[in-house]
Amino acid sequence: MIQENVIECKNLTHYYDKHLIYENLSFNVPYGHIFGLLGKNGTGKTTTINILNGYLQPKSGECRIFGENIQQMTSETRRRMALLIEGHVQYSFMTIEEIEKFYSAFYPRWEKAVYYELMNKLKIAPKQRICHMSCGQRSQVALGLILAQHAELLILDDFSLGLDPGYRRLFIEYLKEYATAENQTIFLTSHIIQDMERLIDDCIIMDYGKILVQKSVQELMNKFCRYTFSVNQSIGGLPNDSELYNSSVIRGHAETYSFSKADYIEGWLKNCGIEYSEFKTEYLDLEDIFIGLTGKY
Amino acid sequence: MKKAILYKEWIKTRLYFPISLAISLAFIVFLILRLQRVAHFKGVEHIWNIMLSHDVIFIELLNFVPVVLGSLLAIVQFIPEMQQKRLKLTLHLPFNQQKMILIMLSVGFGEILLIYLVNYSVLYTYLQSILAPELTGRILITSLPWYICGITVYLLTAWICLEPTWKRRFVNLFLSCGIIRIFFMNDVPQSYDSFLFALSIFTLSCLFLPLLSVDRFKMGKQDLS
Repeated sequence: MIQENVIECKNLTHYYDKHLIYENLSFNVPYGHIFGLLGKNGTGKTTTINILNGYLQPKSGECRIFGENIQQMTSETRRRMALLIEGHVQYSFMTIEEIEKFYSAFYPRWEKAVYYELMNKLKIAPKQRICHMSCGQRSQVALGLILAQHAELLILDDFSLGLDPGYRRLFIEYLKEYATAENQTIFLTSHIIQDMERLIDDCIIMDYGKILVQKSVQELMNKFCRYTFSVNQSIGGLPNDSELYNSSVIRGHAETYSFSKADYIEGWLKNCGIEYSEFKTEYLDLEDIFIGLTGKY
Repeated sequence: MKKAILYKEWIKTRLYFPISLAISLAFIVFLILRLQRVAHFKGVEHIWNIMLSHDVIFIELLNFVPVVLGSLLAIVQFIPEMQQKRLKLTLHLPFNQQKMILIMLSVGFGEILLIYLVNYSVLYTYLQSILAPELTGRILITSLPWYICGITVYLLTAWICLEPTWKRRFVNLFLSCGIIRIFFMNDVPQSYDSFLFALSIFTLSCLFLPLLSVDRFKMGKQDLS
């Protein structure tokens, strides 16, 4: 039976000792979607990946993958999931030939050609050990290994970590091409948002201890705006409002972010008695949306 | 899939295995040459006499060799699994997790057993050529606890290496030192004869300790990095 959602997480709450990571995190990842969990360092992205893979028991809540509770995940379910660990960790004591031979034994749908297609792009000797490769080269080995598994679900933890723009772009293009062609579902985390709008369909943006927003990327890009305007230089800051994110005033130049339309912002400024001029509305790319929601520091 | 797991373990230990075999054989050859020298200058009867009158077995130098070889093998095999939390990759493979860890341990167990068997065979071949069967047996049986200890140390080191937290690693190390002490409490030849079976059963039961460490890893008992 085909499930509507590949991943279903309900009310996940987790603490490290007394430090709250997040509370009541719930999300579903539908079949064929590319879902991004985005947040700054330390917001609980890797924690979520660890929970999804059964390496961590949440304090409360439940996760299901392919309808199966992750705490009792069977080998069959693990075979349907490819995992990329943060930092492109692999068995670095192996060569690219040895590691291909090793993994191919576990996956009946293994596609050797996919792996070697990527390896051929690397200028490395077949007998070179993975530990002697650059971070970018290791990322390609890790990508080749997860694509060759022909898995239905790909879980990638901070795949962009340590990659230069060229390798990051290559990684994303390959991933997007394969996921679209094979109707694969991808769940990924990243703290580098550049290029991410090329890849993901839906996202959760996390802050420390909470979810800031959970929407499709398209909806975010259509609705979330930056508003800039000039105010009197004597104004040090803007009053708080539940509709506004990360408002700031620097030397008379004010900026705020919101899902609300310009009419609402202008009306709010008038209600607060703030005189303003040069009011501008800007639609943003995903990285600026991320900054707008999480703040610059 | 089992072959693939064996293959991975072989890749990790393929350099260590011949080196440790060569080192252990070097010790055996050294002891044989030492015995041969005594036999040459003072006669074999002198060796018999010393063995019976002074309770010595001439191979005391081998005492800690199996322990060192066993612990190094576990380090070579399991430290790469724990670096960068690579055990996640192993546990993610579509194969029964406990069975996989037991296969990994059985590879090390098999390799170390092979090294010890070669050591024993060489020693036996030489000793039986110069000594009475009773004296040969006395030497080999006296050294048996050291080899059983080597296998126990291999399993205990695997337990320590696979443990995900440093605090617990130190606890395991402390407990392991206490366990190893049991094997070296008495120097008198053949003093462990009546315990050999119990020691072997104890060693086999240590096979399950690394599984406890893996269970703790899966429960998320990890140091924050």
